Amino acid sequence: MIGFVLRRLVQLVPVLLIASLGIWAILYAVPGGPVAGLVGENATPEQIAAVTAQYGLDRPVVVQYLDWLRRAAVGDLGVSIYASEPVVDLIGQRLPATLHLAVAATLVALALGIPVGVISAISPGSWIDRALSAWSALALGVPTFWLGILLILWFAVDLRWLPAVSGYVPIWEEPLTAIRNLLLPAITLGVYVSGILARFLRASLVSELRADYVRTARAKGLPERQVVGIHIMRNALLPFITIVGLMMASFIGGAVVTEAVFTYPGLGRLLIQAISTRDYPLIQGCIVVILILYVAINLAVDVLYAYVDPRIDYG
Amino acid sequence: MRLAEGTANAGPVLSVRGLKVAFAVADRHVPVVRGVDFDVYQNEVLCIVGESGSGKSVTSLAVTGLLPETARVEGSITLGGVEVNGAGRDALRRMRGEDVGFVFQDPGTTLNPVLKVGRQITEGQVALSRLRPAEAEGRAVELLRDVDIADPEQRVRQYPHQFSGGMRQRAVIAMAIAGQPKLIIADEPTTALDVTVQAQVLSVLARRQAEMRAAVVLITHDLGVVAQVADRVAVMYGGRIVETGPVEAIFRSPRHPYTRALLRSIPRMDTDEVRLDPIPGQPPMPHALPAGCAFEPRCALGSGRPRCREEEPPLSTVASEQNAACHFVDEAPPAPKVHAMARPKMAEAEAPPLLDVKGLKVHFPIKSSVLQRTTGWVRAVDGVDISVRAGETLSLVGESGCGKTTIGRTVMGLVQATAGDIRFDGQSMVRLGPADKRKARRRMQYIFQDPYSSLNPVLPAEDIVAEPLRIHGLYDEMGGAERVAELFDMVGLSRSMLSRYPSEFSGGQRQRIGIARALILAPRLVILDEPVAALDVSIQAQILNLLQDLQAELGLSYLFIAHNLSVVRHISDRVAVMYLGRIVEQGTRDELYSNPVHPYTQSLLSAAPDPDPAARHSSRRIVLEGEIPSPAAPPSGCVFHPRCFRADARCCAEVPAFRPYPGLATWTACHHAGPLEQNPAALAEVSR
Repeated sequence: MIGFVLRRLVQLVPVLLIASLGIWAILYAVPGGPVAGLVGENATPEQIAAVTAQYGLDRPVVVQYLDWLRRAAVGDLGVSIYASEPVVDLIGQRLPATLHLAVAATLVALALGIPVGVISAISPGSWIDRALSAWSALALGVPTFWLGILLILWFAVDLRWLPAVSGYVPIWEEPLTAIRNLLLPAITLGVYVSGILARFLRASLVSELRADYVRTARAKGLPERQVVGIHIMRNALLPFITIVGLMMASFIGGAVVTEAVFTYPGLGRLLIQAISTRDYPLIQGCIVVILILYVAINLAVDVLYAYVDPRIDYG
Repeated sequence: MRLAEGTANAGPVLSVRGLKVAFAVADRHVPVVRGVDFDVYQNEVLCIVGESGSGKSVTSLAVTGLLPETARVEGSITLGGVEVNGAGRDALRRMRGEDVGFVFQDPGTTLNPVLKVGRQITEGQVALSRLRPAEAEGRAVELLRDVDIADPEQRVRQYPHQFSGGMRQRAVIAMAIAGQPKLIIADEPTTALDVTVQAQVLSVLARRQAEMRAAVVLITHDLGVVAQVADRVAVMYGGRIVETGPVEAIFRSPRHPYTRALLRSIPRMDTDEVRLDPIPGQPPMPHALPAGCAFEPRCALGSGRPRCREEEPPLSTVASEQNAACHFVDEAPPAPKVHAMARPKMAEAEAPPLLDVKGLKVHFPIKSSVLQRTTGWVRAVDGVDISVRAGETLSLVGESGCGKTTIGRTVMGLVQATAGDIRFDGQSMVRLGPADKRKARRRMQYIFQDPYSSLNPVLPAEDIVAEPLRIHGLYDEMGGAERVAELFDMVGLSRSMLSRYPSEFSGGQRQRIGIARALILAPRLVILDEPVAALDVSIQAQILNLLQDLQAELGLSYLFIAHNLSVVRHISDRVAVMYLGRIVEQGTRDELYSNPVHPYTQSLLSAAPDPDPAARHSSRRIVLEGEIPSPAAPPSGCVFHPRCFRADARCCAEVPAFRPYPGLATWTACHHAGPLEQNPAALAEVSR
């Protein structure tokens, strides 16, 4: 198992190389750059040239990339052009917030998605199944920004139970405040994803319900609770884990809209800011970190798989 | 018969009266079981025989209330004196755990893949508080030992994927007997298993059943298995029992025309009959049953008779303990049609073979999961010589994993040969370029096993049949639509079905489409990979006859790949027996079946169940130990030695050469080849 994890981490290297090269290429293929924004509208050509030289942007693209790569290899992702702070520090401030939100949103999605999926799978076609699939369609169909705004209106503006602007508070310092801050954005993301999870779990349970081993389990006199809870669930969870992992990974860089609605200091918003100002080092840094997290979550899913499914042996 | 001694004073263990099952489909109820009565007594084996759709499996599930909620069950089912139909959830659950043991068909899917085998064997008993959790593992070990699983202490903690197919089915038997049930229901328990493994499983089941004196309901389509294990037989057709009686009576003097036809339609190992006597037509669909007798449209006796068309015959006594449901049960059966078809004369042995395979090896690399390094080789085919002459049928017979299908696929060019040469019509296929290979391939075609998955479901039948013409750019050249229609005639399909889709055809008809597709390019060699294995018995005979007619008419050569020894005997000129990638014995059909000299051939022939109840007592049966080893790690020396009853030190060390056996037209690879009678002592040890 350790060997498997190590091999997967080694495989990450070429993935990151290709990705960083791709980002670099795209950035330079698009006209414009960070300098125009820095020097202002009335800058003279001399000023522009000076600023360009200051950030080393006058060097050949290949040299710039190799220089970036050389530093990145030892953990130095450069300095943000706009914030004039090391990219590593900027990301370091946002990363815990993003992880908090990703975990919280996943928990909400599981808490809503699993019961809905199980209940509607056990009695397919019943009124409760239909009601629940209508609900999961609704959860999928409502845009997150709209739900986020609604939640703010109800719980923050009208009821004044929760803050309208969600700052980041580490959960190990002030658990209650942290939860109050996380609750609304986590529900916004979680509700949406719970619709996907419920549908997926329902489909996977319904197909397992027809499996031969279920008939065998019933034939030996097991109570229905055990048939569903142990026999079917263990098998249905296998594909489900993959989806949960993918969803969680998508929260790392992809929760931009929700972060914006709640002005939550997450990685996604940092990346959008970096892109809009063409802050090259920051863009590169954000994407590389998001990629690493993405691969790490998928690796965790694969490891979990081996524990749930005895047929998988990573050697 | 065991019936008499076991039931002198006890009532039946299971009694079924007027059982009707209908499934709700859309807005109507489709009757699947239509009034079934039977009893099973202690220590008695009742076999329910029937083709697909006859209602036999549904009957067995209804007995314990295991049918889905869409089923409507009527009638009375009493198990140990307690009414099952309408019983509450908990009562049913208790009954399943305490009184009934189930063995299902496919051991690959009946066990839960993510739970340990030991847990699965005893959890039912634990859930019903008949076994304390702390004792569960010990009991599971005991049960595994009872079903002949070696090293049960280790095995009990393993998962199903670590068990071979035969071991899984024995684990399922262990599960079924865990509660010491009064009744064991086995639904096609050996259909998914190889013949030597089937023999092991049946013998374990019979031993445990006899010990517990349990009643057994065994559901099967295999008349050989019935003849071997049944005390009484119930034949089902169209949702009803059409004949029931003691096993000897059913086989010796069947009274219902369906039973008679069924027995006549199966190929047998003990005759050389050139032509099978198939039952015409298809088994009825439950939603479109005829008004009168369900068998009337296919019946040799009653077809077209007004009484048979209008009135459903009741099951009535025809002899002591034998009942049949037929209006004209006393009429003499019409004499079977004499099929005066001479067996096509084989090409002379001197003619150069059409297909000549020499020293063929096909090894598949085993790749490590991540870095794709080759860590070993699966020796699927390991040095095989075969040849097929024009107009003859060579059969490759063996159990699963022996490499027979790989040979067929390699000859077709679907798999790359590792070593050796394949010559087709004098031309070496191995080194041909892609274009030439394609051209040569026109002359050889493949017919697949499963007619349900080998036809593209979104294409109409005519396009499926025409596809090879289009692929080779010969559609217009070879006659286009007219050619397709001709092929439909040739395989016995109506031209009116040309534009229908595969889902509108029955299994037998689909296989006819597959045959038409293979023949449309006018090939010289046809490779048939288990072409009848997925078909019902009565349909099998139709397809086998069709294949023989086409061979005679078109002068085709067949490479016939199969595991069913009676089918192989029926269709072949020469037979090659394969084991673990090698041919162990090859000869003319008659020589091989009457004088087998390799111990594996002998075991295979002896394990194949004979559809004759008398054979159960007279013939000695060789039950091979163990199962087929993995072709990734074949045993040393002779690959068969770990399971062989003649093996000695030499067999472990030295690979036997494949050479002619003196005095017979047979080649074999064995250090101790010879007729069975030479080794009575060795045989006595393995026979039970």
